[in-house]
Amino acid sequence: MATVVELPRLTDTMEEGVIAKWRVAVGDKVKRGQVIAEIETDKATMEFESFDAGVVLQLVATEGETTALGAAIAVVGKPGEDAEAALAAWRGKSGGVAPAAEAPKAEAPAPKSEAPAPKAEVAPEVSPAVAAPAPAAPAVAAPAPVEDGGRVPASPLARRLARENDLALTAIRGSGPHGRVIKADIVSAIEARSAAPKAASGAATVTSGAVDRRGRPFVSAPDRPVKLSQMRKTIAKRMTQSKREIPHITLTIPIVMDRVAAMRAEISQAIEGSKISFNDFVVLAVARALREHPRVNGAYSADGIVEYGDVHVGVAVAVEDGLVVPVVRFADQKSISEISAEIRDLGARARSRTLRPEEMSGSTFTVSNLGMFGIEHFTAVVNPGEGAILAVGALSDEVVAEGGAPVVRKIMRCTLCSDHRLFDGADNARFLAALKRLLEAPMALFA
Amino acid sequence: MVLPCAGPMTSHASEPVAPGDDNAHFGSKEDNLRWYREMLRIRRFEESAAQAYTRGKISGFLHLYIGQEAIAVATKELLQPHDQVVAAYRTHGFAIAFGSAPGACMAELYGKATGLVGGIGGSMHFFDRKHQLWGGYAIVGNHVPVAAGHAFAAKYRGESGVTLCFLGDGAVAIGPTHEGWTLAGLWKLPIVYVVENNLYSMGTPLSRSIPVEDITLKAAGYNMARERFQVTSVAETKARLGEAMRLAREESRPVLVELITYRFRGHSMSDPGKYRDKDEVEAWRRSDPMERTMQALRRLHGISEEELEAIDEEVIAEMDEAVRFAEESPAPAPEARFHNILAES
Amino acid sequence: MALIQIRHAIRDAIAEEMARDERVFLMGEEVGHYNGAYKCSEGLLERFGERRVLDTPIAETGFAGVGIGAAMCGLRPIVEFMTFNFSAVAFDQILNNAAKIRHMTNGQFSVPIVFRGPNAAAHMLGSTHSQAFEPFYAHVPGLIVIAVATAYDAKGLLKSAIRDENPVVFLESELMYSVKGEVPEEEYLIPIGKADIKRPGKDVTVITWGQGVPVALRSAELAAAEGIDAEVIDLRTLRPMDTEAVLTSVRKTNRAVVLFHGWPYGGVGCEVIAQIQEQAFDDLDAPVLRVCYEDVPMPYAENLENLVLPTAERGLAAIRAVTYRR
Repeated sequence: MATVVELPRLTDTMEEGVIAKWRVAVGDKVKRGQVIAEIETDKATMEFESFDAGVVLQLVATEGETTALGAAIAVVGKPGEDAEAALAAWRGKSGGVAPAAEAPKAEAPAPKSEAPAPKAEVAPEVSPAVAAPAPAAPAVAAPAPVEDGGRVPASPLARRLARENDLALTAIRGSGPHGRVIKADIVSAIEARSAAPKAASGAATVTSGAVDRRGRPFVSAPDRPVKLSQMRKTIAKRMTQSKREIPHITLTIPIVMDRVAAMRAEISQAIEGSKISFNDFVVLAVARALREHPRVNGAYSADGIVEYGDVHVGVAVAVEDGLVVPVVRFADQKSISEISAEIRDLGARARSRTLRPEEMSGSTFTVSNLGMFGIEHFTAVVNPGEGAILAVGALSDEVVAEGGAPVVRKIMRCTLCSDHRLFDGADNARFLAALKRLLEAPMALFA
Repeated sequence: MVLPCAGPMTSHASEPVAPGDDNAHFGSKEDNLRWYREMLRIRRFEESAAQAYTRGKISGFLHLYIGQEAIAVATKELLQPHDQVVAAYRTHGFAIAFGSAPGACMAELYGKATGLVGGIGGSMHFFDRKHQLWGGYAIVGNHVPVAAGHAFAAKYRGESGVTLCFLGDGAVAIGPTHEGWTLAGLWKLPIVYVVENNLYSMGTPLSRSIPVEDITLKAAGYNMARERFQVTSVAETKARLGEAMRLAREESRPVLVELITYRFRGHSMSDPGKYRDKDEVEAWRRSDPMERTMQALRRLHGISEEELEAIDEEVIAEMDEAVRFAEESPAPAPEARFHNILAES
Repeated sequence: MALIQIRHAIRDAIAEEMARDERVFLMGEEVGHYNGAYKCSEGLLERFGERRVLDTPIAETGFAGVGIGAAMCGLRPIVEFMTFNFSAVAFDQILNNAAKIRHMTNGQFSVPIVFRGPNAAAHMLGSTHSQAFEPFYAHVPGLIVIAVATAYDAKGLLKSAIRDENPVVFLESELMYSVKGEVPEEEYLIPIGKADIKRPGKDVTVITWGQGVPVALRSAELAAAEGIDAEVIDLRTLRPMDTEAVLTSVRKTNRAVVLFHGWPYGGVGCEVIAQIQEQAFDDLDAPVLRVCYEDVPMPYAENLENLVLPTAERGLAAIRAVTYRR
């Protein structure tokens, strides 16, 4: 009997996936461990390596199609085997998850990130045996034997390295005897992960029937349908949820940043190679202010309010077609240089899409800074599970009155957008005042 | 021309020689009293051990010396400071005779920390260097070359010590015995090998385990002097064994001595003794050196029943005390099992 | 530094210790008038006399036992087995007396003795004369087991063995007695229980000893030609084993091959592997392989013997396998 290939769970938070690209066609021979598809998850596009060997009998899922976890995406077996029969048998056996295209998606289990209370500090350690999505039906594929129970043969060292680097052994092709994953395979997997994913191609142009005054036709381009990426979907879902559920209140405060600027200059002079940004100061000050105002570092739910014990500041990073929010953990307990280095590293890896899932979860508060685009002031949407988000604008030299005289100061406007169910306007104001105090007299951050 | 075998091809002696009652077999009143008490100490110790064994206080193998006590007692009186005695696994009697504390001996049988070797060796591995008892070997015959090594060391250093190596008749057939005897004879080592021939190699009579009746015939092949007699008294044993030791000490000649003796108990506690009948045991009891010494004390020295009774009570009290000591002694500490495996260097 | 043969390093070690310590003496078959079956005691009789250099009859149990008895009295015998194959008939003496006496006398006696001689297969001697004895002896608590492969190690370790308070089984190699090596003019000792890195490397650890050492070194050379950098560790002392040296190397290279003269089943190689898997499991990138005798009695015929013996080529194959080179 041929084997039905199911959509694998490639990340911790993945609920559904899209076959970004099939790397095999019907009739191709497939080896165990061979990449057969690129699958777009909520976090990244990942290569999917076959657990089965044989010939591709059918590609059930089409490229670009959203598919539920565990749904049938392909059938692999011996040449001439009946793929439909295998699918029928699979449905009967597993109560198979239908592809999204065929039937409305069953309610996926709620990921814990949607509920405010539990914050996932780190992703739970995934043992290789558990991580491996076991084939639903015991595969009797020819010619290569199939691993029973989904256990991936791997050297002890490879297991340890995979664990340390958060790699799923199932996603790594073993080059050792019997497909054993060895150190070399893990090393290449780590290198491969660092390589950024590629861009999509553009669309052709056509001329339209309309002409200008001189009778020249306008060049018309067709609408470009863009499939929702998993990331876009996640953003859409979560932002909609936020705007629907959270009554936002928004307060803005101007902060004089001259002393931060002076201190930043001093640090860059004193410490070779330091590249501390204004935003690093903001994150540190936010973290300290959150300690003073624990309610702001909390979340509301119908069951009650939680004030988080730890301060984990999410830093929004724009990436291609979306944004991710890597998290600076225990930010209130870190030095400015630690925070700076961490944000730089997280940002770079966010853009190369090599962040690990747990580096993007568990934030208790978010800072979003659009200053680099020259934005003076904006509002942001609270991330579900948090109580507030700080929207940070650009620094600009402004003439302000001081003691009745005009002086030029570096002004930065910070806007706290918060959940009114959790606290009120005055609390919001007090938090902003604390932030202003810390940034206008920044020595306090080093006391 | 094929020459006849040196020894007579007679049947093996299984009957005791009827000892004479003449005074030459006995010593002075003091000697006889001392010997009697010492033999009695060994016998009562062994009886206490047997009782403890039956009460489950002692496990493993337990080989009793009852019947052969005169040999150990005579040996003790012959030892000079640099001599050493190497024996096999029927060794309690030597320890008791040589001066090892009965409590330490009993504690060893109990596997207690206060035992002769800390509870590590048990019945078959008695060593008490201070009292010149150098083992305690439980692999039949493998102490025969080791004992030659002790004699070799004495000769190497020019010391006057003599090694006495006791072995059972059961050790006569095994290879190491002959290699040890070869080297002792070849290198003229100052050693006396004493075969305690109690007529049975465990349950097998010698007629079925050794091709000649007279074990000392083997001495010829190893250039050893030889001596052979039945042990009926401490006095005679001491005199004849003493002469063998003199030869070893003064002329650096190895000597092979065969002592014909009899154990009244089984080979070990688990031996039902079905290979010999009651009449045979009774016949040997009549020549039991301890019994004969007691009779001599009565007959020659006028020692009364009451006096003999008093001696027995004292000895029994001593052995009761040994049992009490063993019972109350602590077991070895858990870490003791790691001690003395290698020397710390 | 003088360049001398291993047999002379052994002889010099014995001579130096005999000169230094009156308690030391040598006994064995043909050690005296014949000057040693393999000339490891050449000239010693002449120098030290018959009292201290003793020819024995062919009676291994006898003279091993005499050695043990003498050692218990405080002498320091060196007992030569013409080959360790003959130690089999003295096995009880070594197992039950040499190894146990300190323990079973609760420390009343020591047995400072060295049993030495050539071990393992030489060339076309057939099954009874081609055996490696280290597994038998290394199995026994109470014994120290040493196997040497260079003149330097032979001299330094034999001197340490003679001075040690414990019974030492000291394994040499008939095939290697003529191998020359540098030995310092001045006196030196090598501590018992320390392995030696005979060749540093980073890709794979080859653990070896005794007659295996030159084979392992040759395997490492062949591997180097293929770009594999093998580290060769000579255990030198098999009991107590320098486990730390092995683990340190394996933690670095993640791969190990044990190469030795001897049968695969239940030997010292197994102990090495057991230690590695117990203590460095998460550092292993490949199963640990053994290169040793095939599991058969040694045949006489040259072609068959060559098939049974561990060779540099078989060592290379194992190195390739654990480094996943094909």
